[in-house]
Order: sequence, then structure tokens, then C-alpha cells
Amino acid sequence: MSGETVHGAAWGRLPGVLGALARVAVMNAVQYRVSFLVDFFVGSCNVVAILLPLMVVFDRTGSVAGWTWHQSLLVTGFFLFMNAVMGGLVEPNLGAVVEGIREGQMDYILLKPVDAQLVASVQRIAPARAWDAVAAVGVIGWGLSGTGWPGFGAVAVAGALVVTGVVAMYSLWLLVICLSFWFVRVDNLRYLLGAVADAGRWPVDIYSGAARVFLTVVVPVALASSWPAMALLGRLDGALVIQAVVVSFGGFALARWAWKQALQSYTSASS
Amino acid sequence: MTSGASTRGEWAILWRAIPTLWRVAVAGIVAYRAEMVIWILSATLPLVMLALWDAASAAGPLSGFGQAEFARYFAITMVVRQLTGSWVVWELNQAVRSGSLSPQLLRPVHPLVYNFFETLAAIPWRLVVLVPLLGALVAWRPEILIVADGWFVPEGWRMALFLPSVALAFAVAWLVQALFGMLAFWFEEAVGVFSVHFAIWSFFSGYIVPMALLPPAVAGAARWLPFYASLGVPVDVLLGTAGPVEVWAQLGWVVALAVVGRVMWARGIRRYGAVGA
Repeated sequence: MSGETVHGAAWGRLPGVLGALARVAVMNAVQYRVSFLVDFFVGSCNVVAILLPLMVVFDRTGSVAGWTWHQSLLVTGFFLFMNAVMGGLVEPNLGAVVEGIREGQMDYILLKPVDAQLVASVQRIAPARAWDAVAAVGVIGWGLSGTGWPGFGAVAVAGALVVTGVVAMYSLWLLVICLSFWFVRVDNLRYLLGAVADAGRWPVDIYSGAARVFLTVVVPVALASSWPAMALLGRLDGALVIQAVVVSFGGFALARWAWKQALQSYTSASS
Repeated sequence: MTSGASTRGEWAILWRAIPTLWRVAVAGIVAYRAEMVIWILSATLPLVMLALWDAASAAGPLSGFGQAEFARYFAITMVVRQLTGSWVVWELNQAVRSGSLSPQLLRPVHPLVYNFFETLAAIPWRLVVLVPLLGALVAWRPEILIVADGWFVPEGWRMALFLPSVALAFAVAWLVQALFGMLAFWFEEAVGVFSVHFAIWSFFSGYIVPMALLPPAVAGAARWLPFYASLGVPVDVLLGTAGPVEVWAQLGWVVALAVVGRVMWARGIRRYGAVGA
């Protein structure tokens, strides 16, 4: 609301603003050093917990829904990477928005002369999730060691798909957060979203009909996990790339619109 | 503190307090019903695992598990998981760290007893939320209920043993969570430690891999660990791969964990008092 008139002219200041926000976020996060190590340990255990069932399955069968062990590792690696980005950059911020709505700190964000969605989306980070990103790269490398190295074009497409997937998931997260402007009680919806997104850890082909559509359109986690893997393997249809772009841009526009609507109806915690 | 000796007077107070505790706990569930539904639905892991195993067994059964067996296994696992679920580790951790444990200690009833009733009161609600999920599962794979020669009905004694086994699994799961919650008396990272436990638990409890599909050496040891006692035993009792021996082992774990919990609580509460909260 209050920031709306100013922010239009402020895009030129964007790099400076982002830099300042990032610096504060890092300063806030490095205060908790023990927690950084604990998170490393927790993260490593989670990586093992995600890989173990795959190992047990592929111990018994050579391929699942047309995916071999190494090919599935690619999907899991991209899934871990998406989780690292969501958990490290998106979730801490949007979680803080929910808290801010309940306790009133949202007011301070709205008073700043920068776009509120931008500030609300980049003010906090969880640096420990960087471990997960390292693990993700390791798992993808492990997968590639069995499937052969892809060409530059395939890597570029995979990278672009990761971006569309992350944008799509961020948008969905933001939509869910917008709901809590009206219904403060559903602030844990994002945990449900995280639990549903867990389905992205396997190749999307193992899901049948409706579930597959669900994971590529409604909770489009497959955009960031299965599809980049398919791009690296040279299996991705061009139509899917277009679908990914449409889903992610459409999702972002929808989330942006919902955010503005939500701000209109925000009445602060005190009033 | 109030939590020390289990005198006869304390039990009498508890006995009289039960109806009130129950009413308060049910009121809490009703007040937070929307949040509860979301928490309950968040336990999606059995469905995610079912999808993987279903695809893996499409070409033929693995160790006797075909698509129908996997669907049945994870449907029952999902139910048992809900029947044995609790939030005590998060609640105790929060209570210790925020200091809201202090007023709870002034009550004549042990804070964990109140929490125990809260957990129990959630169970009917958990079952209600499960019904549509189970319905969808059965619609997807009717073989869960229908076998070649009629309905899937376990033997009578297995069904009879299922309920006590679920109750014991509930007790093991609740006690383990309470122990991890008590870690908050000493560390700030009790919940983090618990999520490490979850990763280990999910593998050895039957939550993501049926015991029959683990490597035999691993399964042989896992069968007697508390992870399996807190989830897998009742599932396997119903499906025919566990029996009275495993249920006795569950009882053993309940006793052992309760003893450890008692000692830990006594020490932890002394430390809590010393901090001055």
C-alpha cells in the first residue's frame, strides 16, 4: 500500500536494495553458528534418508517406470537442489511474513519505500541449507557418472527448467501465504505444501494419470526435479519446456495479483 | 517439584482429573480443527513411498510384494502412523524454551499427562481425516480389500492382537518423542536431533520400506529395535509377518522407555529450576 507509489521508479535501485537486504540476512543468519553445524548434520541425514529407499528399490529391480538407478539419482539431485533453494531462500522469508501478519511486524515492511513483495521475499536466509545444495550437486554428479555427460545445450535447458521450477514453487508458496492474510489459522498450510512437494523426489513417470498432472501443474515440483533430469538425458519434449514457462510465469502473475489483493485487505495486527 | 514420587495421593488426583483433562483436550482439538487437519494431511510419506513401490512392482512382485500387497501395506501403515502420532516433542520443546512449562508445573497433574490426553483426544479426529484418503486408495486399488476368494480378512487372533499392538506402538512412539522433548532441558536443538531420529526411524520402522524388503541382516536386527515397535509391528501383525513375540518386545520397550523417561524428567526438571525459569 504505502510503498506502491514509490516503487515504480525504484527499479534502478534494485541491485543496491538487494545487496543491502542480502547483507543483513547473512548477518542475521551467521549469529547462530552451532545451529549451522546441527543443520549440516540434519541435512546429511535427510539426504541419506532420501537415497536409502531408492537403493533398496534398485537393489531389486533394474529400472522403475523406465528410469535406471543413475537416472533417478539425477531427479533426486535436482529435488534436493530445489529443496535447498526453497528452504534456504524462500521458506524463511515467507514463514516470517506469516509471523509478521500475526504479530504486526508486517507494518514495517509496508512502510519501506521498496516493493513489499521484494522485501518480504529476500530479507532472510537460512545459510545452512547451502549444505543441501552441495549434496544436491554431488548427487547429480553421481547420477551423471552413470548416464554420461550431457552437452552444453542440455545443461542450459536443465538450468532454465530449474529456474522455472523454482519460480513456480515460490509462486505457489506465496499464494499459500496470501491466504494467511485472511485466515491466520492456516499458517501451517506451507508445511502441507512441503509434504506434497516431497512427491517430487521420484521420477514423475512413476505417478499415474491425475497425480502426474497434479505434480506438473498444481504443485509443479516436477518442473524443478524430473524435467531438468529429462533435459540432461535428452528425453525432454520441447512442448514440456513451453509448458514449464507457461506454468511458472502464469503462477508468478497469479501470486503477484493475490499478494496485491492481500495487501489491500491487510489491516495490521493492532486494528 | 510435583513430578517426583508416585504416591497413592497423586494417582487419586489423576483419576479424578481424567474427565476434566479429557474435556479440555477435546476442546483444544475442536478449537484448532483446521490446523489439525493440515498437520494430519502432512504425513504424506506413505503415499509417496507407495507410488515408488507400486511402479517398482509393476513388472512383477518383489519378495512376495505385488502392487496389491504394497497398496494394502501402506494403507495400513498410514492408519497406524496416524493412530500413533503425537506432537509432544514440539510442544515440550516449546514449553521448556519459552518458560510456559512453569505454570504447568504448578498444576496437580504432571504436564506430560495433560499432553498425553491431548494426544489421545486427537485420535478420533485423525481417523475422520483419514477416511477420504483411504477411500481414494481403495478406489485406486480395490485389491486392498478384495482378494481372489472374497474380502481381505485377517485371521481372528491377528485382528484381536492388532489393537493392543497399536496401543503399545502408540506408547513407544509417545515416550520416544517425550524423551527427545526432554532434551530441551539441556540443548537448544532438541527438535533438530529429533529430525535426525526421524530419518533413521523411517528406515527401520517399516514406514518407507516393509521389513520383508530390507536386507535380511538389517531386518533381523531392526525387528527388535524401538523403531519397529513404534509402527511396523501392528501393521505386520495384521498382515501376517509378525506375531505375539514382537508384541511382547513392544511391551518391553514401553517399560524401558518409561523408566528412562522418569529418570530424565527428574533430572531435567531440576536443571530447569536451576536456570530460574
